[in-house]
Amino acid sequence: MMKACSGPLRRTFQMIPVEKIRRPYHHLFLSAVVILAGTTLSACVTSRVEHIKESTTGIAEGEAIVIMAKSYHLGNETEAKFIRCVGDSMGRGREGLRVIPNQEFVDALFPWFEPRTAPAETKGLPALMSRPGVAETIKDKGVRYVVWLDGDTDKTAGGGSMSCAVGPGGGGCFGFAWWQNDSEYEATVWDLDGLEDAGTVSADVSGTSFLPAIVVPVPLIARTQAKACKGLADQLRLFIVADEEV
Amino acid sequence: MPTVQALIQGHAGASIPGWGLGNLKSIWLKRISAAVVAAILCGCGGSQVSLQDPSIPEPLIDQLQMSVAARYPVAFDHFVHEEQVIGKEKWTIDLGKSNRLLFTQLFGSMFTDFMVIEESSNAQDLPIDALIEPSIDAFEFSVPNQSQTDEFAVWIRYRIKIFDSEGIQVANWPIAAYGKSQTTTFGSDEALRRAAVLAMRDAAALIILQMDKSTGISKLRDASARRNSEPPAVIPNDESMQWTAAEDIPDDSG
Repeated sequence: MMKACSGPLRRTFQMIPVEKIRRPYHHLFLSAVVILAGTTLSACVTSRVEHIKESTTGIAEGEAIVIMAKSYHLGNETEAKFIRCVGDSMGRGREGLRVIPNQEFVDALFPWFEPRTAPAETKGLPALMSRPGVAETIKDKGVRYVVWLDGDTDKTAGGGSMSCAVGPGGGGCFGFAWWQNDSEYEATVWDLDGLEDAGTVSADVSGTSFLPAIVVPVPLIARTQAKACKGLADQLRLFIVADEEV
Repeated sequence: MPTVQALIQGHAGASIPGWGLGNLKSIWLKRISAAVVAAILCGCGGSQVSLQDPSIPEPLIDQLQMSVAARYPVAFDHFVHEEQVIGKEKWTIDLGKSNRLLFTQLFGSMFTDFMVIEESSNAQDLPIDALIEPSIDAFEFSVPNQSQTDEFAVWIRYRIKIFDSEGIQVANWPIAAYGKSQTTTFGSDEALRRAAVLAMRDAAALIILQMDKSTGISKLRDASARRNSEPPAVIPNDESMQWTAAEDIPDDSG
């Protein structure tokens, strides 16, 4: 196979001007520009973050929070990476809160916070706290608030068309595609000190992503989930820390 | 197969410098491509997932003051489930000894005195209040291609039979456990493994919560104590202690 290729290819190679030999580097440069553009440019998103406070909040030094997903037995489909994102965002920075990893919390209180057994309402908290070892474990861990996340990110619409082709001389795409994502999340905050519902924080972010392509596709992605994560985490931190009147 | 040196030397006579190196790259590219194609073909052939140690945390519960033994069926030592997803790949899930490990750990936490006996052992010769015989009725799962989501789900239907100290069956309790896990960067196998572990953990939570209510196992301690204190001629009315719990409706709305 190598022999069959060597003759004709050698001749072809000798006829190529020096400028054209450099073309692969131009392609590399172009690709780098496209990747950079794709990662730095993003489509617009519309976001709405709001909260409803039902009791006075506040957190003392040493107290912690836990971010949990509402049970999938109740039909919740909150993504694991979103829960991690909110937890990381709330724990990050100089004013970050102490966030206990939810698996650590669930394991320490097994079997009372499993998807099947976790209390669905604050009404179940007094009974839960009276179970052997539960109140002590929560106190040992310093958990003051449990934040229950509900919601998910969905693709709500989309359209356009794009075709790509690859040949011996290279490849390329032509067309235009778009899709709309909607990230709707709600965080319910339970105060384990007063065994009551402290309130809810919700984030609704929607955005349309575009993918125009003339030879090279340039993605303009609406990062709705990331925006919802940041918005929700920032608002939750304010909600918990601010010792404001209801 | 030509060596690397031979490949370079074989093209050293060519008038274009670097030609040999170019071919060398091309050969490696071909090999890498072949490996990628082989990997993809292997991937289409099926996935094999095995569970090793699905340990559960120490539960926060009050132990039941009774002496209990468990007898596991042979399938508990090597339970393998195979399924060909229509038009797609074949999945094999090997639960290995994970069920035995899980139930041993679970019952060990639930009862003050617990032992595992062999299948051939006669439970009536042992000083126990109850004998538990768990088994697997069914194992099912769904992969993202089927559910049109990025989730793996596992359903396990266990059956728990309970016998009193005289070997009379007093309860026959079917339970349905459910676990769900999203596809992660660690791959499909890991997600399916996680879903299976969550289903087993779900079963453990359900057993802790409902076992006594559904089977009345704690009453066997009193019955056993009564039997020991009464004269041997008296035969306890075991018929009144037969429970056949209604099947739990799986909460698999997700």
